Amino acid sequence: MANTVIGSSIVIDGEISGDEDLVIQGTVKGKISVKESLIVDRSGVVEADIETQNVEVSGKVTGNINATDKVELKSDCRVIGDIKAPRILIADGASFKGNVDMDVKEP
Amino acid sequence: MANPKDSSISSGDSTVIGESIVINGKLTGDEDLTVRGRLEGELSLTKTLIVEASGVVKANVEVKNAVVSGAVVGNIDAGESVELTKEGRMVGDIRSPRVILVDGASLRGRIDMGEVKGERSEKGARPVRAVRSVPVPARPAARIGKSKLEGKPSPPPPPSESRSGAPVPPLVAAGSRRRVVVKKKAR
Repeated sequence: MANTVIGSSIVIDGEISGDEDLVIQGTVKGKISVKESLIVDRSGVVEADIETQNVEVSGKVTGNINATDKVELKSDCRVIGDIKAPRILIADGASFKGNVDMDVKEP
Repeated sequence: MANPKDSSISSGDSTVIGESIVINGKLTGDEDLTVRGRLEGELSLTKTLIVEASGVVKANVEVKNAVVSGAVVGNIDAGESVELTKEGRMVGDIRSPRVILVDGASLRGRIDMGEVKGERSEKGARPVRAVRSVPVPARPAARIGKSKLEGKPSPPPPPSESRSGAPVPPLVAAGSRRRVVVKKKAR
């Protein structure tokens, strides 16, 4: 499904940008901006500001998330930071600390 | 614990950087990395880097193995081997005990294969060296010189006979083998 995978032993310190899905199983510090979906897997650690359309977090994220469509915090995730998105889903078991902004655009 | 989605994603311990992805910064890791997009900065891996035809790496690279089919600008320091395939383009220096340049690959930079030990004797066994070390036209000339000094006019005719027969094919062979292209070995 996704073309780009950052494997579990990979550490990136810097900026990632692109137009496709990104799966993170490793560690990324810095900034992430992708047009499509970002998936932070269970083993993934992100210390970065995120700008994308959809985010699915099962791992750890420290940083602000800005999504144009949806942010989904899965049951084992740990997220610290502000989330801004029209749709935000937080599953039972997820841990989250930060502000939520669901400033929905008027239809 | 692991749901089917997770297992499908993490199948095979490798990282792929897709075509539209740009990474700017430092990347380190202990697994194979395939680059189809763009990577700028610094890269160090304990395993294999594969730069595919669409991939661009502008970085100093430290890896165990590197296979370049795309473009690399920067130096590659490999513990084991570096291979430039026929689509590979590179500007920078290569330091690795094994360097494979396939016909069609382009490289501007230096190659350092360390202390050449076993490889030299292997290459010496090839006919290339033998052909080069026998510069055929030089011998008859030397003989002519000696014969003139000795004042014996009889030796010159035999070398001229051998000139007509032998020299031409070795010259062609020497020229054709002097290309810098190192043929790909089976990996």
